[in-house]
Amino acid sequence: MSIALFSSPPATHLPSPSSPHSTAKTQLALRHFISWRPKKQPPFWVFAENGAGSTSTAAIVEEDKAAAAEEKVSEDKKEESLGSNGSVAVDAAAAPAPVTAFQDPRWIGGTWDLTQFQKDGKTDWDAVIDAEARRRKWLQDNPESSNNDNPIVFDTSIIPWWAWIKRYHLPEAELLNGRAAMIGFFMAYVVDSLTGVGLVDQMGNFFCKTLLFVAVVGVLVIRKNEDIETVKKLLEESTFYDKQWQATWQDETSSSSMKD
Amino acid sequence: MASIALNLKTFVGLRQASPENNPITALAKPSSTTTAARKQLRINAAKTSPKVTGRNLRVAVVGGGPAGGSAAETLAKGGIETFLIERKLDNCKPCGGAIPLCMVGEFDLPLDIIDRRVTKMKMISPSNVAVDIGQTLKPHEYIGMVRREVLDAFLRDRAATAGATLINGLFLKMEMPSSKTAPYRLHYTDYNAKTGVSGGKKTLEVDAVIGADGANSRIAKSINAGDYEYAIAFQERVKIPDEKMKYYEDLAEMYVGDDVSPDFYGWVFPKCDHVAVGTGTVTHKPDIKKFQLATRLRARDKIAGGKIIRVEAHPIPEHPRPRRLLDRAALVGDAAGYVTKCSGEGIYFAAKSGRMCAEAIVEGSENGKRMVEEGDLRKYLEKWDKTYWPTYKVLDVLQKLFYRSNPAREAFVEMCADEYVQKMTFDSYLYKKVAPGNPIEDLKLAVNTIGSLVRANALRREMDKLSV
Repeated sequence: MSIALFSSPPATHLPSPSSPHSTAKTQLALRHFISWRPKKQPPFWVFAENGAGSTSTAAIVEEDKAAAAEEKVSEDKKEESLGSNGSVAVDAAAAPAPVTAFQDPRWIGGTWDLTQFQKDGKTDWDAVIDAEARRRKWLQDNPESSNNDNPIVFDTSIIPWWAWIKRYHLPEAELLNGRAAMIGFFMAYVVDSLTGVGLVDQMGNFFCKTLLFVAVVGVLVIRKNEDIETVKKLLEESTFYDKQWQATWQDETSSSSMKD
Repeated sequence: MASIALNLKTFVGLRQASPENNPITALAKPSSTTTAARKQLRINAAKTSPKVTGRNLRVAVVGGGPAGGSAAETLAKGGIETFLIERKLDNCKPCGGAIPLCMVGEFDLPLDIIDRRVTKMKMISPSNVAVDIGQTLKPHEYIGMVRREVLDAFLRDRAATAGATLINGLFLKMEMPSSKTAPYRLHYTDYNAKTGVSGGKKTLEVDAVIGADGANSRIAKSINAGDYEYAIAFQERVKIPDEKMKYYEDLAEMYVGDDVSPDFYGWVFPKCDHVAVGTGTVTHKPDIKKFQLATRLRARDKIAGGKIIRVEAHPIPEHPRPRRLLDRAALVGDAAGYVTKCSGEGIYFAAKSGRMCAEAIVEGSENGKRMVEEGDLRKYLEKWDKTYWPTYKVLDVLQKLFYRSNPAREAFVEMCADEYVQKMTFDSYLYKKVAPGNPIEDLKLAVNTIGSLVRANALRREMDKLSV
């Protein structure tokens, strides 16, 4: 059985978890084991409660023991403080090596220690945002177990609203306002040259006001070329579930007309 | 009651005795006087083309889970001759096993059916931010965890006590009726027939059929109900050491993240003496084992040292079938596709839909005196859609909004920390009513939701910049 084949290699590596080198190999073998398994077992996701259960149970129990060993190993690793910065450059070098927890000197007790982010006597919120982005990126690539002893309590709302606005909203607002102004000026000029109606008189006209509304909404909603497709799909998606529920009633009108 | 019986008897005396006259049940003929008398019985008998039957109406319920059990009980109590066909009486259906508080009251469930009362939940975001919810629950409120084999058996036995005939057999196929009064012929294999181990092939003639046979419903195939998208729910039952089990005494966990599921969530639910660790997906079914590994990794510290005692999987419908009803055959429960989005809850809706459909049949047939027709069963669909459509729609919107991507899930978990959100969520979940909230709080909630989503998406943009 192919499953038995994959069960055995990690088992032989288990007895020596203490030295760093063999742990690296264990982790390496384990990672291969984990990444290979899905390909080798396509039929197992099919819902056969009893049939698949026995064979995969054996393989999974093996892997559970390996996972328990890995947990012990990563605790040893924490002492070594590998990757103190957790930055991307170090990640690339350490990727095939042991999967450690996220490490950063400013990440204390499950949240960011704001006293370490001081700049000119004030908290450097941009640096906090950067640090949190880095942490989430790390976790996305190396998912960690959630631990009750070290709960993560960081809440992004501690970063004040104006920090977010200054960093994300203002540049985009500048861009969109610029676009709207250019469109507005150009359209006002074109309409004036075609109809002779000046800007003030244009604003009194209902059709022109509608055009203005469409232009503003268009600039807000369509920011990239892909947004046109996205908006169309969004409209369809929002009513899709309703249509699925209504399906049985469509059936009724056709069948009742057949009966009569 | 006696006066009405008298009315009926005198009325029968006016008619000529028909050959089908069954001495036990009185013949019912539509007329204005009769319907006026009937109104006192609170049965509304306004039928477009009423039919007469000389015996009690016969209804078959195929499938003996929560939907089938409650449908059979309601039918039997309504005076209808009920046949409940179930293929595996000790079936341990793979299931989360969570029932809302209202189910205990509405279905008179004895409290010893409930193995555990979950009063706390932990939501864990992709970056492992953990939020505890449940502080707003009152002391008598809880989510009940049951073993499906226990619950199903209880409901079935209660139906049998009420008068339903329980048949241990496998439904094979159904012949559609040739006319509006002709019966349905169901072919099934009876496991209890005296003629040998496999039992004999038998036929059953009934006037109406309720299909309660689950996600792979054969009744649905017989009536060409159409297909639905379904999620695969994969679950491992893990027996963990007692000290770790204490943590899960009354707590369930939900893990969200792309690693755990691209469109659903991973869970750790406590059961009678072990926990169930599982996950599900609609769009990436072949990767389900990968997601399961990721779920176990996220919960690793809390289930370390556990032994897997069972692995199971089952499909879960995502939306109702295009056709839930044809003539006098209706679908209920998972067969109809009544599982909510976002939470994937199905037990309560299965039992309730079974009951509603049975009530519609009882009402339409006036306690079994008349033949039913499609219009009577349509009333069940109308009532169901009207009562529960808001619940389903709200959960669909929540799923679309918050299970989209990792930033959305981070925002979701952040929102769960809010007390108002917790209160609204639990009120809607436990009592199955979309509770109208306080408008000021709703506005604050909307603002906070947008804020969370904006922050999470901004962080994601930073993350993307890092990867470049």
